[in-house]
Parts: sequence; C-alpha cells; structure tokens
Amino acid sequence: MASYDKEIIRDLIDGTLPWQSTKSIMSQYKDDDRFFKYIDILQERVKFNDQILLPIGEHLYIVAKKSEPQGERVVKCGCGHEFGHYTNNWKLNAVINVRDEEEEIAEIYPGRHSYDPDWMEIREFICPGCATLLEVEAAAPGYPIVFDFLPYLETFYRDWLGTELPAEPR
Amino acid sequence: MKKTTPLVLGIDAGGTMTDTILVDKQGNFAVGKAPTTPNYESEGFIESAQDATNIWNLDINKTFEELEVALYSGTGMLNTLLSRTGKRIGLIVTRGMEDAVLMGRGLQSWAGYSYEDRLHAVTHAHPDPLVPLSRVRGVTERIDHFGQVVIPAYEHEAVSGVKELLEQDIEGLCVCCMYSHVNPEHELQIGEAARRVFAEQDIDIPIYLSHHVRPIIREQSRLNSTLIEAYATSQGREQLLGVETAAKQHGFSNSMQTMLSYGGLADVRYPRLHETMISGPVGGLLGARHVGELVGADSVIVSDMGGTSFDIGAITRGKVPIEDEPTLARFKLNLPTLAMDTIGAGGGTIVKVDPYTHKVSLGPESAGSVPGPVAMDMGGTEPTIADCDAIMGRLNPDNFLGGKVQLNVDKAKQVLKEKVADPLGVDVYEAAEGMVNMLEMEAKSSIESIISSRGVDPGEYHLMAYGGSGPLHMAEYSRGLGFKGVLSFPFAAAFSAFGCTTADYLHRHSQSVHIMTGPDSSDKDREEARRQINEIWSELDSQARSELISEGHETDAIVCEPFAMMRYTGQLEDVEVAAPVTKLESDEDLDKLTQAFEDLYEQINRSVSGYGTAGFTIMELGLNARVEKVKPELSRRPLGSKNPDPEAAKGKRSMYYNRAWHEAQLWEMDMLKPGNVLEGPAIVEHPATTLVIPAGDRVRVDEWTILHYEHGEDTQNSVGNVL
Repeated sequence: MASYDKEIIRDLIDGTLPWQSTKSIMSQYKDDDRFFKYIDILQERVKFNDQILLPIGEHLYIVAKKSEPQGERVVKCGCGHEFGHYTNNWKLNAVINVRDEEEEIAEIYPGRHSYDPDWMEIREFICPGCATLLEVEAAAPGYPIVFDFLPYLETFYRDWLGTELPAEPR
Repeated sequence: MKKTTPLVLGIDAGGTMTDTILVDKQGNFAVGKAPTTPNYESEGFIESAQDATNIWNLDINKTFEELEVALYSGTGMLNTLLSRTGKRIGLIVTRGMEDAVLMGRGLQSWAGYSYEDRLHAVTHAHPDPLVPLSRVRGVTERIDHFGQVVIPAYEHEAVSGVKELLEQDIEGLCVCCMYSHVNPEHELQIGEAARRVFAEQDIDIPIYLSHHVRPIIREQSRLNSTLIEAYATSQGREQLLGVETAAKQHGFSNSMQTMLSYGGLADVRYPRLHETMISGPVGGLLGARHVGELVGADSVIVSDMGGTSFDIGAITRGKVPIEDEPTLARFKLNLPTLAMDTIGAGGGTIVKVDPYTHKVSLGPESAGSVPGPVAMDMGGTEPTIADCDAIMGRLNPDNFLGGKVQLNVDKAKQVLKEKVADPLGVDVYEAAEGMVNMLEMEAKSSIESIISSRGVDPGEYHLMAYGGSGPLHMAEYSRGLGFKGVLSFPFAAAFSAFGCTTADYLHRHSQSVHIMTGPDSSDKDREEARRQINEIWSELDSQARSELISEGHETDAIVCEPFAMMRYTGQLEDVEVAAPVTKLESDEDLDKLTQAFEDLYEQINRSVSGYGTAGFTIMELGLNARVEKVKPELSRRPLGSKNPDPEAAKGKRSMYYNRAWHEAQLWEMDMLKPGNVLEGPAIVEHPATTLVIPAGDRVRVDEWTILHYEHGEDTQNSVGNVL
C-alpha cells in the first residue's frame, strides 16, 4: 500500500506539492499511515504540548490534556486557548461577530452580491486567545448556533486506525 | 545470410525505446530496437536502424541506398508540449475572447482521467495554458456566422497589441478570430498589420493564422491547434530534419516521411506538423485494413493490448471512421484522426486492493517499462497483470522478450500473495487468474461497447488481436462475442509499426461550410449549393496538388478524392461521404451525392431508417489527396500438414487455467507453417509475444501464416470466474 515521506505530507498540508503529485495521491487508495504522519506534523506546529487526537478545523484540535484533569479531551485552538470539552459546542466559548447590517455585509459582499439580513446572517467565530478567525457559518436569524461535528473518537481509533484510544478519566 | 532487398523502413521513437521495422517486398521483416535519445533523436534512429539491418546481415549504407521509403515518427513535439518547453508565443484574438486560453473546454479538466477521477471533481484541473493571459491581446472586430463583417477590424488595436507583445520578446505570433473559417478577411488583415510592425522593427518571427492551420468550425479547438503548431513544432521539425540528414549521410536519397494522425505520410517539411502528434495507434488500423484487404476481410475490429493500454477501433467495409476533435495532452484539437478508443489495460497494469473494503481494481496506472512488473526484478513493487501471467505459467520465465529478461516468478508470487491474495483470503493462483480475468473482462466490455454504440453486427466482423499482450489474453476477451473470425499474427508485437509501413502519402484538406438541400429546395438553391461545393472542392484540389508536388511527387500520381461531411438536417453528427463524382456537373450529380450519403447512413445504422424528408446538411467539404506508395505483401504459401514440424515443439509446461493446472504443449511461433492446427491446452512462444490456447480451443495457421483462433463450442467461460 502507498506510503509517503513526511516531507510530502508536509507539502500536501501547506498546498505546495506540485499538482501532478497531489493528483496522483488523490487517485490512490489512502496511505495506511497518513493520519499519524499528518498528526505529527500538526503537533510540531501548535503552541501546546497536549496530544492531538483529531483536527476538527484549520486551527482547531481535539486534544488529550497533559495538565489536570489529565487525559480530558478538550477542544483547543493552535495558540493553546481552550474551548472546553469536545462534546460541547466550542463555538459557544468563542468571540462571535454577527454580520446582520448592510454596512457590515457590504465589507464582504458589496453591492449586488449582498444578502437580505432579514433572511440570513453570517456568524464569525474568533479565538479569544489569538484573534484567529476559526469558523464562519451562515444561518437564518434566530437559528441556534450550529454544532458542526461530534466525532465518535473511540470508534474512529479502534475501527479505522486500528489502535485503542487511551481512556478519558471520569 | 538472407538475400533480400529492403523496401520500407519504419521507425517509431517512443518515450523509452526507438523501434525499427524493416520490411522487404515479400513481407519479411526485421525488428530493431535501441534506446531513444531525446536530445539528438538521430542517434537513436541510426542505432535502431543498425540493429534491424544486423538481423539480416545487411550493410546499413547499402540498405539506406536501396530503401524506397523511410518513415519516422518521434515524440519530440509531444514532449515539448508535455514539459511546457515550447516557444514563447503571443496571441491576438477577437476582443472579448482573451480568456479563452484560460477557460478552455470543461472536458479538458478531466480528459484522460480514470472513471473514478472523472467522477470526483476535486481531481479536475485545467491544463496549464500554452500562452499566459499577459501575452494575449484583443482586437475589436466581428464577423458573423454567415461570414459578413459586423464590426470592421480595428487595425490600430492590432498594431498596438503586436507592439506590446513584441516588448515581451515573443518568438511567434498566433491570430485566431471568431468565424475566420467562414471569412478569413480579418485574420489576414491583422496578420498584415503585424507583418508591417515586424518590418518596422526589423523582427522576423513566424505568424500563425488559425484559418491556415485548419478552417474548421469550433473556436476553442481551432485556437488550440494553432497554439500547439506555434508552440511545439519548431523544435520537433529540427529533430526530424536531423534524422533526415543522418539518413542521407548513410546514402538515403529520398526525403524522410512522417506519419499524420489520419494515417497518411507527409514529408518532414510539411507545414502543419502538429498533425503528426497523434500517430500512436494509427499504424494498427492501417495494418489491419491492409491485411484485411489481402485476406478478404473488409470489416474488422482491431484490438491492441500493450503494456499500458488497450486500444480498440472498427473498420467498416474498408472505411475507418475519423474523429474530428481528438484530445492531445488534454487539449481538444481541431485535427482529423483515425478514431480509436482506449482504456488503461495492459500487461503492466497495476492490481490494487482497497485496504478497507477489499475492493479489487486494475490500473489505470501501469508499471511501464521502468520499473516494470515485479517479476522483472527491476524495482517494481506493485503486482501487475504480467506478474499474474508469469505466476500461472502462461509466460515463460526463461524466454521473456526472447530471453533478454529472466522473470523472477517467486518474487512475483510473494508480492501478489502479500498484497492481493492474503487480503482477499484466496489462493495465490486463484487470485492471479481472477486479476487476469478482470482485465480480460474490461477489455471485452470495451469491445462490446464499441459494438453496441456503433451499431456494429459482430457477425460481419473479424477481430484482429495484436500488441505484445494481445495474444496472451485474446482467448478470453474475444470469447462469446460472435465474430466471424478471430485473427492474430506471428508479428503481433510489431503490428503497429508494420501498419505504418503500409501507409500512402496522404494529405487531407477541408473547410467548414453550412450547405442545406432538401425536398423543398428550389432549382436555384440547388444550383447555388452545387456552385459552392464545386468551388470549394476545386480550391482544395489545387491547394492539395501544389503541396504534394512541392514534396516531390509527380502530378500524374496524385489522386484527389473529395468528400462531404453530411447529416440529415437537425442531426448532431456527420458521416464522411466519399463523393461519387469529383465535380457536381448537373442537378443529378447532387442527387448522387445525397444518395451516397443515404446508402452509407443505412450501412452504418442498419436498424435505423433514413429520414430524407428532413433534408440534408453538409457541414464540411474536403478532399484526401493521395499518392500510392509501395506496400509490403504477406507471403502466401500452400497449406501443408495439420501437424507442426517436430522442431516447432518445445516441450511442455504446467499452465493454470480455469482454476486447474494443465500440461500445455509449447510451440515456437516462428516455426509454424501454413496448415498447422494447434489444439489447446497449448502455449505458442515468440520473443516478443505469447499466445495462450486453453483446453478445448484451437488455432489454425492459414496460407498467409495468419493465426486463426477458434473457440471450442462448450468450453467453460473463464471470464465467468471473476472473483
């Protein structure tokens, strides 16, 4: 089965791999060890030491905490800011900017590209630690904040990666 | 030493190897090989030719002196295009069409992809344009589809555009205006303006006008053809001229020929050299047509299985359909090409098993010649079809490529077991046969799809199987399809190169038109249609003749065969109708032309009725200008004994077939004689190919030494055993 050098995976993440190579990776079956190489590279880049269990956004990770309570699975921004347990929606702990006024909408969608704020709003979720824009969602005004993704971590590790996830303390 | 006078030398320079086929009048041939030398193709050319002449112990200088024809097709231009190392060109288009180079055609973003990749849009990407947007300028002008000037060409814009492009150090200028195929006035005018600017600045670079390249409808294809001609052909031409010089140094007295995509030969000085860029599978079709004529089979399905791909085409009553917009290096071109379908299936095709779902898939990746199949022991790590064949005893490990390569069967077995058999939980031999059957099934279904999509009745057709891997798999991929006959050749591996040597000098010229006639047409309309048709045919006639004369052919030897691309009005596809007369002198002649269309239409679409009441539309008028060339013949010998000579027998070997081991009789292909009949289980070996005959089937050698494959009546269909 295919397996690639860490350097290639690094270029893939950065989008600097030549298109032909990227395309050929896409057309193959997934390499067996991709996930762990991928996690290793991300781990080198984040500003915390907790073990990354699963990336859930460009700057967001579910991690197993090193500090107390040790092993607890929380969502962290790459800067280390903690958003709480992964089974809770991290967005509720982010700084939120809602674009529901003409002027603010026009900053992004000027003129005829604009939308009707009575029907839709854009919500931007920003990290309180480093001010990185972490996620954007479009919803009808009044619609609850969307919980994007609640993974079955144990199943994923056991059935897809073939390894057991260390238990989380109760 | 063989006493023979070589007649034609055909050379095909591929990516890795340059193949030579030397043919004499009796159809004997010698095949030579040498590594391709991409920077100085002439070196590989001479070395490969030397290799072929050595087989017959001929002196290379004497051979070149005696040769009537030498033809060479290289990959230089294609490589220039693929590696994007061509000329720095500038482009002038109708204002508003500047982005055409970036937008391309949607299908260019997935052309050549596997079925899976075509479905997954994330893999789609447009090919890099040959000219960046910064070197494209628009000129205000417009000609409508009737050819009338709607907006005159703004010459001052052309002048300033050309000046800006010259500042960017362009090495060639292309001009492509909308509807220039109907009225080239503006392209010519812009070309003139550019020439004046060049003269003022004392610059001498070539100008390519799209209607000169080929005046055919569809802007994007015309644009691509023009750009590729400008971008890629000049270095290619230098290589071809270099090859010619090398041949002349060895005493060759004629000019070197190259192969056009529609199966004709042209002098290497031919002005539209991009027409030589798709010539790969053309040879097989020409060879099949030639052999078909000799043996009285005018309708043939050709199937060419090599290391990487499986190419299939159909010849119907001696006619090969022309594909008018082929794809080259993922660009849609405006270039008539002999129509062939291709799928990624050959001896080098890699076998894969999905680690999660255990789904088995083949290719389309191929191990190619480097690193090659695992068994070749040259660094291949992925199991291929050839490995499966070796494991099952169908390939002789000691006589692969005539013994040049020793196959490591144990290594192949180990890799196949580890990567395929074990994950699937089956026996390694069962796995090997399953993979081979999958390949054969894919090949078979591609033949079936040609049969059903072209309305072909297989009972009228012969199947010809060739290519290095063709005879190895033909038993199964042709089984149960109901062909009139299934043929292969002792020289199956070199059949394409042989086919190239059967080509005539042939140039095709054509012009888009839009001429309609129907039951309601008045006499005046019909007369006007005739006038238009005659005018275009006569223009193309003189153009074609002067081109062939300039290549050194005698006027008397040139035969011009006009044709019309016709359809029932309202249809979307044309058929190429050979004109029954070269000039439509009278109203009846016009009827003869439409009648010729209706006859042909009925032949092609047997079950579909004609629809003359809709009227007829001519979309393109053209002509094929042909000069006959000497052709090799196959030698015909009387049928002899059914039993092959004892020297042809090479012993026995165990062969796995239909999930059981059989003791197969081994034969040497070159020792077979007309009249011999070989009963399966048997394996016929040749340095470049292997023919497998399972139990129940047999092969008959006819008076031309063509191998006729005959399936047993109730043999088990091995393809039914797919895992």
